[in-house]
Amino acid sequence: MSDVSTPKPSKQRSLWSDAFHDLRKRPTVIVSVVVLLVVFAIAFFPSLFTSVDYKQCDIALTKAGPVSGHPLGFDEFGCDLYSQAIYGAGPSIQLALMVVVITLLVGGFIGVLAGFYGRWVDAIFSRIVDIFSSVPFLLGSILLLAMFRDVDLPLISGQFELIIPAVLTLALFGWTNTMRLIRASVMEARSQDYVHAARSLGAADGRIMFRHILPNAMAPVVSLIPLSIGGLISAEATLSFLGLGIKPPSITWGIMISNGAGWFTGGYPRLLIVPSIFLIVTVLAFVLLGDAIRDALDPKLR
Amino acid sequence: MADVKFQSEILPELDPSAPLLDVRDLQVEFRTRDGIAKAVNGANFTVNRGETLAIVGESGSGKSVTSQAIMGILETPPAKIAGGEVLFHGVDLLTLSKERKRRVRANHVAMVFQDALSALNPVYTVGFQLAELFRKHRGMSKAEAKKKSLELLDLVKIPAAAQRINEYPHQFSGGMRQRVMIAMALALDPDLLIADEPTTALDVTVQAQIMRLLAEIQAERQMGLILITHDLGVVADVADKISVMYAGRIVEQAPVLDLFGKPAHPYTKALLRSIPRLDTKGQKLEVIEGLPPVLTNIPPGCAFAARCHYAQDVCRTDIPLLETVAADRAAACHFSAEVINGE
Amino acid sequence: MGRYVIRRLLQAVLTLSVVLFMLHYLMSLAIQINGNPVRTFFGDKPVSDELLQATMEKFNLDDPCLKSVGDPCWGMFTDRMQQWSHFDFGTDFQSVKIGDSIANAIPVTLTIFAITTVVWALFGVTAGVLAAMNRGRFIDYLVRIGTTFTLAIPGFLMLILVQNIFGVIIGNWFREQFGRESFLSLIFQPTYSAKAPFLSLVIPGIALGVFGIAGITRLSRTSMLENLRSDFVRTAKAKGLKRTRVTIVHTLRNSLIPVVTVIGFALGDALGGSVVLEGLYNIPGLGLLAFNGVKTNDTAVVIAVVALASVVFMVTNLIVDLFYAVLDPRIRYE
Repeated sequence: MSDVSTPKPSKQRSLWSDAFHDLRKRPTVIVSVVVLLVVFAIAFFPSLFTSVDYKQCDIALTKAGPVSGHPLGFDEFGCDLYSQAIYGAGPSIQLALMVVVITLLVGGFIGVLAGFYGRWVDAIFSRIVDIFSSVPFLLGSILLLAMFRDVDLPLISGQFELIIPAVLTLALFGWTNTMRLIRASVMEARSQDYVHAARSLGAADGRIMFRHILPNAMAPVVSLIPLSIGGLISAEATLSFLGLGIKPPSITWGIMISNGAGWFTGGYPRLLIVPSIFLIVTVLAFVLLGDAIRDALDPKLR
Repeated sequence: MADVKFQSEILPELDPSAPLLDVRDLQVEFRTRDGIAKAVNGANFTVNRGETLAIVGESGSGKSVTSQAIMGILETPPAKIAGGEVLFHGVDLLTLSKERKRRVRANHVAMVFQDALSALNPVYTVGFQLAELFRKHRGMSKAEAKKKSLELLDLVKIPAAAQRINEYPHQFSGGMRQRVMIAMALALDPDLLIADEPTTALDVTVQAQIMRLLAEIQAERQMGLILITHDLGVVADVADKISVMYAGRIVEQAPVLDLFGKPAHPYTKALLRSIPRLDTKGQKLEVIEGLPPVLTNIPPGCAFAARCHYAQDVCRTDIPLLETVAADRAAACHFSAEVINGE
Repeated sequence: MGRYVIRRLLQAVLTLSVVLFMLHYLMSLAIQINGNPVRTFFGDKPVSDELLQATMEKFNLDDPCLKSVGDPCWGMFTDRMQQWSHFDFGTDFQSVKIGDSIANAIPVTLTIFAITTVVWALFGVTAGVLAAMNRGRFIDYLVRIGTTFTLAIPGFLMLILVQNIFGVIIGNWFREQFGRESFLSLIFQPTYSAKAPFLSLVIPGIALGVFGIAGITRLSRTSMLENLRSDFVRTAKAKGLKRTRVTIVHTLRNSLIPVVTVIGFALGDALGGSVVLEGLYNIPGLGLLAFNGVKTNDTAVVIAVVALASVVFMVTNLIVDLFYAVLDPRIRYE
């Protein structure tokens, strides 16, 4: 139907501002953004949401139901379930954000280099990507974390100490996707007119790569950011569940699920359902937001 | 030139003495995010056997939508045929059942599309895509269908057809691919062939060859031919008559020589002036100022008024009707008399 | 095509050697940092140096390179590769031949993956195609909501829920109603059962399939949508072909091409997922073998199983690429 011209809006907007205008109007976007704001607030300022210490447990209260001040009751060790769920958000979210930033920087940088220079630069990096992607993501992470589970990392201390091993592992296996996407779109952009134009005006390689090509090559990656944050939160929960991620006495939703799983059919489904709902709602909000962004940037596939 | 003995298994009720194709007041709308877009607002034209009609217009003028409405291959929704009739030998194709509409395609009315590379399925050989017609419509065996396909490739002058029949569309050159498209449209010996910008995607030298091929086959088979194009120059040699479309309406209809000699509508006049010509070398090539109207919001009155030198107040309030301005020719302009006289 | 296959195979061999060495190096590093796992055999009991040395020798962990952190232990690596070239994969800490353990585990894991692939192909693709053909209607929304939820529920959590709901709650009800040996009781089991090796794998296999199904369904849908409005589908309609032929021969066939490629990636996810799945259901497959090996620092087992997983993954992706060329004649590997 080449002949049906869809009337263009009178004001020509860019892809991004068009997408933004489109996004603002969608109920799923509004709901997910609100949910994510709350989740971020919980993750970074847990004390605003509960005054109960999640580490203060009374074994006498094991699996007790909700009472005043403890709206979700207690887990098998008599710890407050609500404050655990609140404090359980932080490590997962921080980890996911750190991994996304690292993969974007590393994968993006290498992807631009490989896509821009092609030839042997591309060949070398592509072989390295082959190596990392020939070991499936989750399998590799499980393997690596399990092997070094008792090792104390030097130089890092404080609250990050607990999440750094998982961050490094997930980033190690995660950057290849970003690299591949960026590489592909840089290769496409490299041959386009505006790049030739910039080159003929004498722009340096670095400038062409990062000022001209990268902003245009980012679109496919941007819509994947929320999805990959959601995926990383899932992955972290999986690792915690297996005892390979963040370890007690710290708390995460994955650890809570691991603790509660055995009681699901034993008369205390609450112990599994509470952390599951926190986890699912958070990941769902990221997935919905990611879908909406992808649709907005590529409306024809809606 | 009506073939009085003409009969059809698919359309037994047809009237051989009626014109081959008679489109009356065809209206097509599209549902878009910005409202209803009126792509075709009452198109009228006829095509007889052995006759070539060129429909000329800018992109968005509704010419491709018209052809797809005749073929019955518009996606509904978003498209909707809001009114009118498409009479094939007196039978309204729009009111047929889905199954009969399907059988009319390729058997009676066939179509050649603009970009043969995307219009041919990339994962099947050319032979498969040709033979499919014979096997599905005529129930032929594989071997028979292949033989017929080879004959077709020879007809459209593809060299080494026996070998090329097993190749994929991407292995053909642009011109050869368009020949395959034409072969496919001709396979079941249709009575009417619609060619939608058949040469737009091709090199100029190849364009001429394809137009010649179409004209030859049309003359030989005495088909009706509708050529859809945005380029008046391409159709000057082959068309018998021309319909000019603007914003979903036919604004002028005339035999080709009359139209080139004395256009009766300001838009046609402007179009003719924008064709580069050898004999007017040195003169400035004219462009038509402004843009065609947005189809969701066509202004009242004449759609061309905003871009027209002849426009008066009446043009902005009253829609001009397509009226006879001379023998065999009609125009939809309040001032066609002035335009035709070159005032 | 032939040259392409050879080049890809050479690349795969190169990649595999690097992966094998990296695995070996990481495992050595883990021993160098964590201490020799053989020591843990004796618990807190005092042990003579001779006995310790003899045990280390028995498990090929006596190389002095394991005492200096960062040493790549080349000798151990070449020894192991030499052994492997004779299909000797050594023994694990229980003195069981690793080759035998793997041979026993392969059919189990293969069964799961076969079920999983059927789920992807049957349900994943069908759902995507139906959604595309009914775009904007009820089925489309249902499929889109469904895929969103399967993306939002982490795989391990879904496995736990499936295990508890289908294996325990529903399974127990079937066992009460129809007896322990009834067909339904055998299918709805909370753990792997050696008595019903196939039936008890059906639900876990389906659960693992749901794990990667969203990507396949979504790609089938978008791919169908793209092709449905392609010019060649319009041509097929203009040729007066029947709707079923236009859909199956001219749309579906083209749409499946990209779907085949994601099945390779989905298999990678499933390989990781199988570790969790087999752990949860106590299924004696490769995943459980690898997981137990990791837990006990049993280097020989881990390297063998992960190497196998990598080989399977690489070979699958190679086959997928070649299949891609067969399905799409425009792709020519030169």
